[in-house]
Amino acid sequence: MVDKIFYFITVPMVYLAFAWCVVGILWKVIGILRLPKQTHTLKIFPEKPAAGLRATLEAFTMPSVRRHQPVLWFFLGVFHLGILGLILSHLDLLPQINIMPAESKHMLGNGAIGVAVTVSVLYFLLRRFRTPVREISVPADYLILFLLFLIFITGDTISWANSWNPDGFMLTKQDFGLYLNSLAHFTFANPRDLLSGSHYVVIVIHVLLANLLLLALPFSKIMHTFFAVPLNRLRRV
Amino acid sequence: MDETRKQELIKTLSSRLNQAMRMYLDSCTRCGTCIEACHAYASEPDIKYSPVGRAQNIRRLYEKYFKGAGKLAPWLSEAIEFDDAVMKKVYDTAYTCTGCRRCVTYCPFGIDTQQIQSLAKQLLIVADMEPKVLSMLADMSIAKGKNIDKTKDSFATAVSNLEEEVLERWRSEAGAKAVPLDVQDANVLYIALAGKHSIIPAASIMNAAKEKWSLSYFEAVNFGAFVGNPQKTKEIADRIIQEATRLNVKEVVICECGTAYRVMKYMTGEHPFKVISFIELIARYLKEGRIKLDKAKLQGQKVTYHDPCQLARNGGVYEEPRYILSHLTDDFVEMTPTREDNWCCGGGGGLVAMGEKDFRMKSAKVKVDQFTATGAQVLSTACENCHTQLSDLSEHYKTGVKVEYLSDLVSKALVRE
Repeated sequence: MVDKIFYFITVPMVYLAFAWCVVGILWKVIGILRLPKQTHTLKIFPEKPAAGLRATLEAFTMPSVRRHQPVLWFFLGVFHLGILGLILSHLDLLPQINIMPAESKHMLGNGAIGVAVTVSVLYFLLRRFRTPVREISVPADYLILFLLFLIFITGDTISWANSWNPDGFMLTKQDFGLYLNSLAHFTFANPRDLLSGSHYVVIVIHVLLANLLLLALPFSKIMHTFFAVPLNRLRRV
Repeated sequence: MDETRKQELIKTLSSRLNQAMRMYLDSCTRCGTCIEACHAYASEPDIKYSPVGRAQNIRRLYEKYFKGAGKLAPWLSEAIEFDDAVMKKVYDTAYTCTGCRRCVTYCPFGIDTQQIQSLAKQLLIVADMEPKVLSMLADMSIAKGKNIDKTKDSFATAVSNLEEEVLERWRSEAGAKAVPLDVQDANVLYIALAGKHSIIPAASIMNAAKEKWSLSYFEAVNFGAFVGNPQKTKEIADRIIQEATRLNVKEVVICECGTAYRVMKYMTGEHPFKVISFIELIARYLKEGRIKLDKAKLQGQKVTYHDPCQLARNGGVYEEPRYILSHLTDDFVEMTPTREDNWCCGGGGGLVAMGEKDFRMKSAKVKVDQFTATGAQVLSTACENCHTQLSDLSEHYKTGVKVEYLSDLVSKALVRE
């Protein structure tokens, strides 16, 4: 029974969560595009040259946060760059992509990216318990951060546990690559046959939590990912 | 609250959900960066006066009626339904927001609290909970527009009574009207406020510059914008647009009123005439050498300038007032922070018209600290709301700082060659 649950989490649920997430994002974005546009300018002055480019840059570099909340800005920077690093490092698991050398046993960043995002998200979470941010926070804010924290900490555990064996890696980048490749090719192979480590349960939990994040994403404030640039353009262009 | 009223409110909320509003309400991560941006919070730290705190009521209502999660698990986002208690909270946050948009410069996304509060104000109008004085003033403006032919003569008489005071400041050419009305094909249609303080200095300056100008029958201030009623805002602005079109003027020049300037320049679409502020016109006269100013009038007094939010941060008029001041004094000092970071005076958004003196004085303590830190004896500004609020603040906190309209300083310093 447990094997069946593990299989459902690591294969069919991944597809379902991914499809749900893509459809949810499209539904949301298209829904907004179909609404009327703002009728008058929402620009902030003074006008600055290359306003469109500036707005895009501001969306990514958050200069206002750097000015007013430098510590938050530091962790936001680490977090967002870390997320980018994690996306790349997971894609790098596929045999067709070789950001790290094909023979490398490590994922991109050698586990450091995971630690960086874990520390960052822990900072965001703890910050929410302090005044005045506590007063503006709602349960969903804590839950999404807690979910991210759990995803990252299980990811860190997988990364760390890979070197438990004194003779070398129990599970390597190549092993995880086989699992991801089977997902990408819809082979519906059981990951247990590919991933033999004793910490397989942690991998299943990691995938389950990631699935939950994908399911929640279109309806969460993570949607700011898609709106940060257009919103900054409203302010500048 | 009865069901019919609730449905009306949901319908109104829905009608305001355009692209920008949906993105604002969906994207706020409640990071808290904006909290310190609001002068009211900085003066009196209460989270309901922070930009994010002000937006929370509307966001919670939006979550309840327009998001699945808010319907299925309202506890997650603290989604709430319309009721009288909620609307009371909406009132507390909407009509204490001056709409200065300082928080827009803090938010990493540029979420516009003024827009969210304008939605809140519209909900309060539907709930019949808006400040009645603002609605009444807006209605009076609209009624004046509809009955202008009946009031034209009395307005002309009142204006002619001001001519002597204008001539005391600047003696015009013989036979020329000191305050002209209904001038066809004028270069400038000047839109004043209801009061001679915004007519006399302006008239003397335009006469000194030998401008072909005409005074509008209508006052600039738009109470429709203050109360948050888009229809009334449009009707009030339309009176001026129709007059300017009828007279075939080249430029509509808005007096020292930030909201009137922003509404006319940026919120009423394209016009067959140009819209500028009176401050821009004065700066142009100085650049063209059409007027000259005597610095001796402010000799021995340090002068600072308060950028009205609607004119500067929301209107782009930053350099012109400083250029004018460079012709008025050699002892000018900037406030800190300044320009787009300048603190709001705390009197905008209809607060001055509503009275609310106790709140205005408490919520703008940070402004008092800012202008007193300059050591200036004269605090100049270019907006009536700001002038009233800053004067009240100076008096309330006994700062000894004199608050002056920039146009009045210019008018009194005019040099006849």
